[in-house]
Amino acid sequence: MPREIAFAGVLVPGLFPVFVVSLLLMWLLDTLLGHSGVYRHVWHPPLFRLALFGGLFGLAGLLLLH
Amino acid sequence: MAAVPEDMAVSSRRPRFAEALAGEGRAWLFVGKSVLASCLAAWLAMWLHLEQPSTTMITVAIVMHPHSGMVLAKSFYRAIGTVIGSLGGLALLCLFPQQRELFLFSMSLWVALCAGGAMLYRNFMAYGFVLAGYTAAIVALPVVSHPLDVFDSALMRVSEVLLGVFVAGVVSDAVFPERLRDLLRQSARGQFARFIDFARDSTGGAIPRAEMEQAYLRFVRSAVQLEDLRASVIFEDPEVRVRSARMRLLNQHYMAASTSFQSLHHLINRLQRGGRGAVADALIALYRPLGAALSPAPESRHDPAVLAPRLRACADALPAQADALRAGLPDEPARLEFDTGAVLLRRFAGEILSFTELEAALRKGRVHGNVERVHFRRGNDRAGAAITVLRTFLTMSTLSVFWVVTGWPFGASAMLLATVFSGLFAAAPNPFASTFEMLLGYALGMASAVLVLFWLLPGSDGFAMLAVTIAPFLMIGAYLNTRPRWVSVAGGYAIGFVYLLALKNPMAYDPVRSFNDGLAQLAGVALTGVAFVFVPSVIGSGWQRARQMRRLRQQVVEAATAPLQGLTWRFESVSRDLFQQVVAHTRAGSEESRGLLGWALAVHECGRALIELRTGARDAVLPAPVRAAVAAATAAVAALFDAPDAVRWNRADEAVAGAIEACTRDGAAGLALHPYLHQLRGALRDDASPMAAYLPTAPTEPSHAS
Repeated sequence: MPREIAFAGVLVPGLFPVFVVSLLLMWLLDTLLGHSGVYRHVWHPPLFRLALFGGLFGLAGLLLLH
Repeated sequence: MAAVPEDMAVSSRRPRFAEALAGEGRAWLFVGKSVLASCLAAWLAMWLHLEQPSTTMITVAIVMHPHSGMVLAKSFYRAIGTVIGSLGGLALLCLFPQQRELFLFSMSLWVALCAGGAMLYRNFMAYGFVLAGYTAAIVALPVVSHPLDVFDSALMRVSEVLLGVFVAGVVSDAVFPERLRDLLRQSARGQFARFIDFARDSTGGAIPRAEMEQAYLRFVRSAVQLEDLRASVIFEDPEVRVRSARMRLLNQHYMAASTSFQSLHHLINRLQRGGRGAVADALIALYRPLGAALSPAPESRHDPAVLAPRLRACADALPAQADALRAGLPDEPARLEFDTGAVLLRRFAGEILSFTELEAALRKGRVHGNVERVHFRRGNDRAGAAITVLRTFLTMSTLSVFWVVTGWPFGASAMLLATVFSGLFAAAPNPFASTFEMLLGYALGMASAVLVLFWLLPGSDGFAMLAVTIAPFLMIGAYLNTRPRWVSVAGGYAIGFVYLLALKNPMAYDPVRSFNDGLAQLAGVALTGVAFVFVPSVIGSGWQRARQMRRLRQQVVEAATAPLQGLTWRFESVSRDLFQQVVAHTRAGSEESRGLLGWALAVHECGRALIELRTGARDAVLPAPVRAAVAAATAAVAALFDAPDAVRWNRADEAVAGAIEACTRDGAAGLALHPYLHQLRGALRDDASPMAAYLPTAPTEPSHAS
């Protein structure tokens, strides 16, 4: 994947769409985890969510742009 | 009620001191988090080479709130508003790059429309609208003289704002979060316990009207507050989001149950006043098992899992008990009256059972399957929104004209601030006072900024020194923010300080620019206040109260005419929301407040009875004349509530009596509608309700004899 992509004539960093897609994925995952009650067994849910998102975004970014 | 003193007794060993200390601890935690978020945002913005780190810091200053759910909700809508607003600003400047008059006109219109849109929504959705308005101004105004730069400006502002939103969200949610969810749980449990207690303690029968009114006020308030809280907590807690549909349904059951409960007690009160003690006693006897079902061992009184099976058994046994009690009544009219009450009681039992079962399911933890999707509808005031549009438009165009005519180099700053504050204050109950306090805070913030800018900062070196220098000043704003009395001042202070400081990398020191800009900003804030004098806020004015009152009464018209699908939920929530809006601006216990309560109770009772009547008529097989008589009664009651007077009261009373007669002639199918019609008639003839003003005084004629 290129570092920068042209979006309607504007150069956008390639990480941006990855970020948006990870956000959507995170939202989906968040709902699923909330449904299954996983968050009850987590010490600090917000931190867990943040870390999960960080992992997701980092992984996707590294895999796609490296 | 009994549970509260026990809890207090345990923790009141060292009463005030510990409490104050805990409050102070929370405040300082918030101060720490705010300063951390601001500095982090500034550092990140500089590291990313954003043009104006100050925009990021302002965003943090505006978004920060002690509860993380509030921050996330605010951030979510802020992000959406920012994106839409910058697109709007971009579009406007592209449309009129050379015509400043047209541009300023359309910009004023855009901002005004956004401010008006904010009035039609509650919570932070309104905030999103305000944001969409002023982001357009932030994006377009600074580059109005070089339109070619507008795209970069838009991109920069969006990046800066989104960065600020992100930092504020992460810091407040991940660093010692103070969860709004606990507050939601606490108030939901409180709501449940209070309602159950009230239903149990009124087994004795009649509740005095004044007490009933107060209870009603509490019920309405808690229903609306719970909905407000829920709307914010869903951002904070994925589990709450999963249960969101159920919590909405729970609130609806609660509202439905409280309406039925009140209707029942009004009915009993009316029977007792009307000298029909035997019927009233029979109804109270029928109510007693419900009270018994609500009274398990004291420790499980508020445990829905214990209450639900007991209530179910009680609801199942109700029809048989009703038949037994009915047989004991002397004559046919008394039996009809008893039926009216028994139908209400059955409805109430069914609703309190659904309420309890749903609460039990929610407390048990994991939820399965889907539930009916219901929404808490709001009663919005379109004329109020129109006035906001007008006022904002006038403010903005006055400033535009002044700017164009004088060629004021800092006109953009003044306009920007006017945009921000006319949006933020449109919904405030006392906008003039708030703007004044904000102005004070703003001036203080600017003074601090000048102090920092020309005395402290030039001697400091590196980001660490910068953070150390500005932290104490940021702390002042954040600490004031935790004191309800000073919130407006704090808001002005935080924005004024950060805005005039205009942190940049590398830092630019330009006293002339700073003072000119500061003066223009103050002028913008002040003009917003002035605009509120000329086009006063309608929130809470007598005019708006009267109109909302009218809309509340028109809910009955709605109940009589709207399609039946989902009507009950809509009726219960809109009427409560309207009532809550009106009553918030009347003094408790005043004549006006009492009158309002009376009307609200009448609206609830008649509206629900009409809906039940219409549902019953729809499901039954009725001959055409009966159907027509019922429809005429519905229309006549609606007309009465639309514009109450003695003539319409007469017509409604006659139409209801006609429908009762028609149903009696029809036999079995028509008899099923009797209870609703009787309830309607009772409510119309209630001499303790606002209907008393229209009642004919004929029957008790020889009053001069006494």
